Amino acid sequence: MGEHDRGAPRVTRAPCGPALETRSLTRRFGRRVVLDGIDLTVARGSVVGYLGPNGAGKTTTMRIALGLLRPSSGEVRLLGGGRPSQGATRARVGYLPGDFVAYPSMTATDYLSYLARLRPPFDARTTTTLCERLRLDPDRRIGTLSHGNRQKVGIVQAMMHAPDLLVLDEPTAGLDPLVQHEFLALLREARDRGAGVLLSSHVMSEVEAVADTVAIIRDGRLVAVDDVARLLATAGRRLELTFTDAVPLDALRTAQGVRHVDVTGRTASVEVTGSTADLLRRAAPHGIERLRTHEPDLAEVFASFYPPTGECR
Amino acid sequence: MTSGWAAVLARSLTDLRRPVAAWATGVSAIVLLESALWPTVRDMPRLDDLLAGYPEALTEAFGLDAMSTGPGFLEAELFSLVLPGLFIAFAVTWGTRTFAGEEESGALGPVLASPLSRAAVCTAKAAALLLALATLGLVVAVVTTVTSGIFGTGVGPARAAVGALALVLLGGELGLLALAVGAASGRRAVALATATVVAVGSYVLYVAALVVDALADVAAWTPYDQALRAGPLTPRVPGSFAWLVLVGGLVLLAALPALRRRDLRA
Repeated sequence: MGEHDRGAPRVTRAPCGPALETRSLTRRFGRRVVLDGIDLTVARGSVVGYLGPNGAGKTTTMRIALGLLRPSSGEVRLLGGGRPSQGATRARVGYLPGDFVAYPSMTATDYLSYLARLRPPFDARTTTTLCERLRLDPDRRIGTLSHGNRQKVGIVQAMMHAPDLLVLDEPTAGLDPLVQHEFLALLREARDRGAGVLLSSHVMSEVEAVADTVAIIRDGRLVAVDDVARLLATAGRRLELTFTDAVPLDALRTAQGVRHVDVTGRTASVEVTGSTADLLRRAAPHGIERLRTHEPDLAEVFASFYPPTGECR
Repeated sequence: MTSGWAAVLARSLTDLRRPVAAWATGVSAIVLLESALWPTVRDMPRLDDLLAGYPEALTEAFGLDAMSTGPGFLEAELFSLVLPGLFIAFAVTWGTRTFAGEEESGALGPVLASPLSRAAVCTAKAAALLLALATLGLVVAVVTTVTSGIFGTGVGPARAAVGALALVLLGGELGLLALAVGAASGRRAVALATATVVAVGSYVLYVAALVVDALADVAAWTPYDQALRAGPLTPRVPGSFAWLVLVGGLVLLAALPALRRRDLRA
């Protein structure tokens, strides 16, 4: 059968169905609803950035996906129908908890080979390569490592068995920029060999750099799931127009796609969605001295889903 | 997943190497010192008169009436309180730490997210605990036998083995209780409190029953009674030891369904 096809890649199961799929996933702790009907899909060969403030439900989603928590209702399917409670399914998942803790008295080498025995296959070369690329000295006791270096141990253990699904809860916390860069390269490689990746992060630039899709969660509900590119396109772009004379406020306000105009002296700061053509056409006759545009980034998109907090100052 | 089970067992045993070495040194020193005292005690003039002067309750609790023989002396001085207490302390401390403690610290998270089932992780840790206790028991049996040869306490290999087995089974039952409650609840404090209450409560009941005959039937259900009533430095294995094995095993088994269903804190 297919397993023995000449030249076929070594796969244990035909890749069908998404790497991770949740249906109406709901979780309550007492009366508090932490997850409320989450429908989230991580396709194979894709990276989904999972964004939300602390306490929004990201970690709970991930812990349910690994079978560490039980959902109150709804369900999770992994790698084409598997359940988190099945050991054979978990064997193909790599997981980095948000607060990764390893046995402090063990060296990284011992710890990694311990986990490898729980979760074969173990490829010593892959593990060594991962350690080298992340600049981790595997012979030191984990208890003597800095926070960032311990985090590297967590990343290596999540990736060393080349899993088909990676569930990573804030993986780059504590990593220096060089290692972060290398980590993102590792993620892209995992995606390119067909793994699905669910990645939660507070670092928007990192998600923007690596994610194909972004899912934004607020108070236990998904408020947006979309391509990164499309999200950015729909987000407001900011143009700063400095006029030779007074700002033609009415002309700017009535232009297509303009959401908001701020004026400081002869400079207007205009927020616009979609095409800027109509705005520029209307502004041009009034003499534009200088034009600056600010492309939106994911942080602005993300912020747009969250109202400013409270009224404290 | 037998290789995974063996890996957790091996890992736990590695973890236990130092504590077991330290406790083995401690109990050996205690047995050695106590045995070395025997010749002096044996040669004390009017030892029986002295013992007769003790309150009845104390005499009963520590078997002081038998203190004029070597085995009676060691039972009174070591095997009725000090060694059981040490074995229980070791077992309960480790039983609490190995599951609930590791779960609370977060270190168990990656292990429980592995393909290995929760029950397998728990039983592997139980096996490690029992092996560690068996090692300590072996040390006690050997040191007791060897010192008997030196100081003439008259505790032969058979009596020493049964006495050590009593310690292993008593520590084992309470250690498994701590492990099981920790695995079922995920809370270190609950595990420690439960095992401590059962250990202290059963000891109090055991001692009370030695004085108040009416309590004897109830006390027969306590692990202390089952482990120590027969001596425990007797040449033959008492039938009551079977209860310790049975209850220890059942307590562990009973925890597994709860462990399988509950939310993990790791």
